[in-house]
Amino acid sequence: MMITDAMKKLGIYVHIPFCKSKCGYCDFCSHPPRDGETDRYLNALMLHMQDFSGAAQDYVVDTVYVGGGTPSLLSKKQVKSLVECIKSSFELDKDVEFTIEANPGTVDKGYLRFLISLGINRISFGLQSASDKELEALGRIHTVADFEKSFKAARDAGFKNINVDLMYGIPHQSAVSFGETLEFVRGLDPEHISVYGLKIEEGTPFYQQKDKLPLPDEETEYKMYRTAHNVLENAGYKHYEISNFARRGFESKHNMRYWLDEKYLGFGISAHSYFAGQRYAYIDDMEKYIHEMEHPKNMSDILSECTDIDVFTKETEYVMLRMRLFDGVDINDYRQEFDRDFINKYGDKLKRYVEGGFVVLDNRHCAFTVKGMYVSNYILSDILDF
Amino acid sequence: MSEKQKHIRNFSIIAHIDHGKSTLADRILEYTRTVTTREMEEQLLDNMDLERERGITIKARAVRLDYTAPNGEEYALNLIDTPGHVDFNYEVSRSLNACDGALLVVDATQGIEAQTLANAYLAVDANLEIVPVINKIDLPSADVERVRNEIEDVIGILAEDCPAVSAKTGLNIGDVLDKIVSDIPAPEGDPNAPLKCLIFDSYYDSYLGVVVYVRVMDGTLKAGDRIRLMSNDAEFDVVEVGSMEPFGLKKRDSISAGEVGYITASIKYVGDTRVGDTVTHAENGAAEPLPGFKAVQPMVYAGIYPADGARYGDLRDALEKLQLNDAALVFEPETSVALGFGFRCGFLGLLHMEIIEERLEREFNLDLITTAPGVIYKITMKDGEVRMIENPASYPSPDEIDVAAEPVVKATIITPTDYVGGIMELCQDKRGTFIDMKYLDQTRAELHYILPLNEIIYDFFDALKSRSRGYASLDYEFSDYVPSKLVRLDFMLNGEQVDALSFIVHEEKAYARARRIAEKLKENIPRQLFEVPIQAAIGNRIIARETVKAMRKDVLAKCYGGDITRKKKLLEKQKEGKKKMRKLGSVEVSPEAFMAVLRLDDDN
Repeated sequence: MMITDAMKKLGIYVHIPFCKSKCGYCDFCSHPPRDGETDRYLNALMLHMQDFSGAAQDYVVDTVYVGGGTPSLLSKKQVKSLVECIKSSFELDKDVEFTIEANPGTVDKGYLRFLISLGINRISFGLQSASDKELEALGRIHTVADFEKSFKAARDAGFKNINVDLMYGIPHQSAVSFGETLEFVRGLDPEHISVYGLKIEEGTPFYQQKDKLPLPDEETEYKMYRTAHNVLENAGYKHYEISNFARRGFESKHNMRYWLDEKYLGFGISAHSYFAGQRYAYIDDMEKYIHEMEHPKNMSDILSECTDIDVFTKETEYVMLRMRLFDGVDINDYRQEFDRDFINKYGDKLKRYVEGGFVVLDNRHCAFTVKGMYVSNYILSDILDF
Repeated sequence: MSEKQKHIRNFSIIAHIDHGKSTLADRILEYTRTVTTREMEEQLLDNMDLERERGITIKARAVRLDYTAPNGEEYALNLIDTPGHVDFNYEVSRSLNACDGALLVVDATQGIEAQTLANAYLAVDANLEIVPVINKIDLPSADVERVRNEIEDVIGILAEDCPAVSAKTGLNIGDVLDKIVSDIPAPEGDPNAPLKCLIFDSYYDSYLGVVVYVRVMDGTLKAGDRIRLMSNDAEFDVVEVGSMEPFGLKKRDSISAGEVGYITASIKYVGDTRVGDTVTHAENGAAEPLPGFKAVQPMVYAGIYPADGARYGDLRDALEKLQLNDAALVFEPETSVALGFGFRCGFLGLLHMEIIEERLEREFNLDLITTAPGVIYKITMKDGEVRMIENPASYPSPDEIDVAAEPVVKATIITPTDYVGGIMELCQDKRGTFIDMKYLDQTRAELHYILPLNEIIYDFFDALKSRSRGYASLDYEFSDYVPSKLVRLDFMLNGEQVDALSFIVHEEKAYARARRIAEKLKENIPRQLFEVPIQAAIGNRIIARETVKAMRKDVLAKCYGGDITRKKKLLEKQKEGKKKMRKLGSVEVSPEAFMAVLRLDDDN
């Protein structure tokens, strides 16, 4: 099949829900694999993707993201069959951004070389902190030294696009230790850095002990966030989205899909999709998922949610998602998309935020300032209609 | 005296709260077979759900029981139930005036309490024959002899052969009935004299209009008669008269001197039929009304607002409905910048206020915001004008005031002697004036104080209970207005005054209260995008200050694996929360925060 520019673009997300052990703060869908579970799950996953190859035949896939859990727990053989299935089920763009998440210490140079040979060209390491004490507090099973080794191995293996995940608001963390983490990562010169705030989610072990955890206070957290912005911008990274920093040209194409309201198909338990005018997600029940793939009866049984995105919702989401980007909403683009004037709709509501220095609004675009970005939930929940 | 009159006994049951008044009433109903056990719902006399739940009687009810004495004589016993709380003292006194005797129930484990005494005195004032009944003798800690002595020593009535019962198990209830017949006198009065009926209760019925409960003192009343209410000269044609049976009204041809009964006369407002008023015939009526009538006046005022401003109309309808049955409830519309449209409501006391609030929330499904309760201040202006101020918003500026006076009450506190010290300290702290102290026996004392009412409604009762481990009891009655150093305390958020938070307070208390409330505001106002200064002021003098720091961070950093829905739901939820917020200028405050600030607990 010929790939033409006119073809519609699509992203693929694949969820690998296995981890060696679960971190105290984690509320993502993951668990240590039971005997033979990995192969059964991968098999179901591949059936699932093949099932969708027809629906996606008019699309060219320009981003693939294998996330988890810890996808790097998969054996070479398992990764290979997974990647081959993706390639056979979907039309991949020649410049596809193909990301895999990896835990420091779970990968060696041979494994990383093998990933490159399969066409995986971006790797994302969950470092979180450059302090072993903080890593231990989070329940991470790697050390800072493990990470450093893995990072260098990835470079040696040929990865030219590496992301490092960091966290602020960790137990025992201070403004100083966070600054040291930033310096450490900057020294390794990754192309992309994500900086997330630790959020204590209900149902996690952290939630139960939340009153006892030695967490930094709100002021300190705020300081850390500002420090990340200042240090990384100074080092030549663009703070292009609430939690993401990148060298020019290395913004995560896959994540940008989410913010730019573009289509993506998710596969595997708890994976989310935005396709054919609907947002939907699969259940997180492994056995039920595998069973449905092996004995297909009714796909809607494995959906945990499914919403039609009407124009009203689409407009709300458009603003909500674009405003996560420092480029914000392009007022011309908004007019073309929804045939209405952005300033007419939001100008009055935004006035006090513009005056307070939280939002910049002119006749070409609307965006948060750094200060505004930190309180974006407050402002967005105020101005948007749901 | 007619034969009929000789076989009537009109009595009430009086007691301290929880001493078993309602349970005893139930057993008497059962014993006289007026109600079979099967039909018996617990505490039948308390009609309202709320009463049953709280175990207190809010409004008086009356019931007629037919009793055949062991000697074969048949009697009509009219049991008139009385409210058991200090807020309803006047209603109690009127109910007692409708009786000729009272059963004074005393808990065999606790002995005499403040309301036992207060009620006994009311009964003595009404010239009633008091029949003591010692209750709860089934409890292991019951001490009948001690309580017997206490009744004789403290109240000064013979208790030697008084019934000792267990209303719970029904033990010795027959003794109580015998005593009612033998000790309580038959009602006096002349059926042929000009009509005099004492109103002791009334309620609104959607079919009958107002149903008025009366004790006929003199004369005879029948359907078709034209009657006049002597306090307001309103006239009505009687539609129906009859007696109150346990399961409803029973129509009779006439009611006459000595009897207790009801009247309906197409009366629309309970406000026309005030408790204590005298009903007579429009023509050839009585020359003088029965003594003791007074129109009850609210003692405590508070603003009541719907949490959801759109339900203002519903709140008004609900208040109007409650007022149909509660002439003591008054309200008028008021507006607050902070809380929107609502009502300034007047109540007999704190319990009355709580009951109204609860009924509004429960029966009418309303969410309410209630401002801090206050009392009525009597302000003499420099130009000699006297103003009664029940709303802090209309409190005049200090330079216009000549004398500010506040209501004080005469309080009776009965406590185990161990706690006397702590309680005296408390009364001192609440600006009380000591009158005297008596020892009831070796272990218990009775204290008398004059206390400002605004201290009582603040947190006095809770403080009293906590300082006496729950053992002290309180009773009070309005005494007088006395000059006092009063100030109005205002609160400002972001420099703008929040009217709903203003209240009037004694100067000495102003600093502590101001600091406490400023702290509470700080704790309860959610962080805003801007720093919010909180100031407490008397006039234009700032006396306390706090700051709500600006919100620094409110952002969901991670949007995992394209889960947009979760992010959106979070924002939606946040928006929902914001909708309920009241905007005070640029500050958003939730109704919960308001309530937390206005709640008067935990600050002794």
